[in-house]
Amino acid sequence: MVDRTLDHQPQTIGRPTSPETLLAWNSGTMLLDSLDLTADAFADATGWIAKPEGMCKGDVCVPVPTAFDADGMLDVTAVAERLGMALVADDEAGVWALGPDSGGRALTTATVPPIELPDIDGNPFNLAAMHGRKVLLVAWASW
Amino acid sequence: MWQALHEELEPLGLSVVTVALDLDPDKARPWIERAAPTHPSLVDSDHRIDELLGISNVPMAVWIDETGTLVRPAEGASIQPSPFAAMEITDEMPDRLQAVLREFKQMPETGPAYRAAIVDWANRGADSPYAMSPDEVVAASQPRSADHSRAAACFELGVAAERRGDHPAAMAWWKQAHALFPENWTYKRQAWTLESTPDGADSDRAQEVQDSYGTSWSDEFLATGGANYTVLPKL
Repeated sequence: MVDRTLDHQPQTIGRPTSPETLLAWNSGTMLLDSLDLTADAFADATGWIAKPEGMCKGDVCVPVPTAFDADGMLDVTAVAERLGMALVADDEAGVWALGPDSGGRALTTATVPPIELPDIDGNPFNLAAMHGRKVLLVAWASW
Repeated sequence: MWQALHEELEPLGLSVVTVALDLDPDKARPWIERAAPTHPSLVDSDHRIDELLGISNVPMAVWIDETGTLVRPAEGASIQPSPFAAMEITDEMPDRLQAVLREFKQMPETGPAYRAAIVDWANRGADSPYAMSPDEVVAASQPRSADHSRAAACFELGVAAERRGDHPAAMAWWKQAHALFPENWTYKRQAWTLESTPDGADSDRAQEVQDSYGTSWSDEFLATGGANYTVLPKL
């Protein structure tokens, strides 16, 4: 096991740190074209941060003794299994999707994850800009 | 509707932020232009907040306090009486419509109480009885099973397939997502609308998709029952 502690908190899910591997990200749900993933990219996409005590999110830490392989890369399969994240391969397209952690509740912590989304004209908006105000965040759709 | 609430509560330090769950942002555009919002109005074409916040139908909302902490989890966010529940059922209506309206009348009316709770929170903040502690919010959020995680992964693979122009592959992934997490209506309605809404048209809420998905919104709504259609706020 390679111990590593990431000092930074992921600031946004707007951009992963390894764009060549992470095709898309969706809080829990990530689209990958390779299972070679750094701990930083995984943390940016999922909020689960690699620490000596395990994979941690908020106050929750899950020990994953085999989180890293011999080269220090994140063992996505082992971490996914331990955190209850479904890893589904699309063999035809050569991509994998990694679902959110499961086995508990939809929320692991009450801290709002970093959320950056565009407005209708494509201008990015970071929800952190609303700090200091109460926010009623409403999901709707045209359908 | 949300714009009016925003204008009412903005002086109290509350902002509405709307997020459109539309694979094609242009489908949301006419609605946004009509509402002319002065609050942040965002588009989530990947359905990121489905998993981030536990959104499983629309409209649903979360409450976020001044420190970026959730004080209520995702729950059905009607803020006015349902016009469908108020509609009179007549013999002249098609049988299917009568059945759907009967189910709408089974849906507990939470709109006015939920709106009043938002206003109370805007006024009183953490002192509002409707604002939960962090532990309460996590416990009150919906359960997430391994099947739900797999459904999210399948839905995402469907989005990726659709984006590279492979619609049949997208449908196959979405059917898996629907089977794994039938209570998630955003996965279903998003997929169905691509079959039932002609290009450029606003919306077909009947979503008759027998030919492609072997079902329809009204089939599934009637099977689910109005009382179980959304995550009811427990106020």
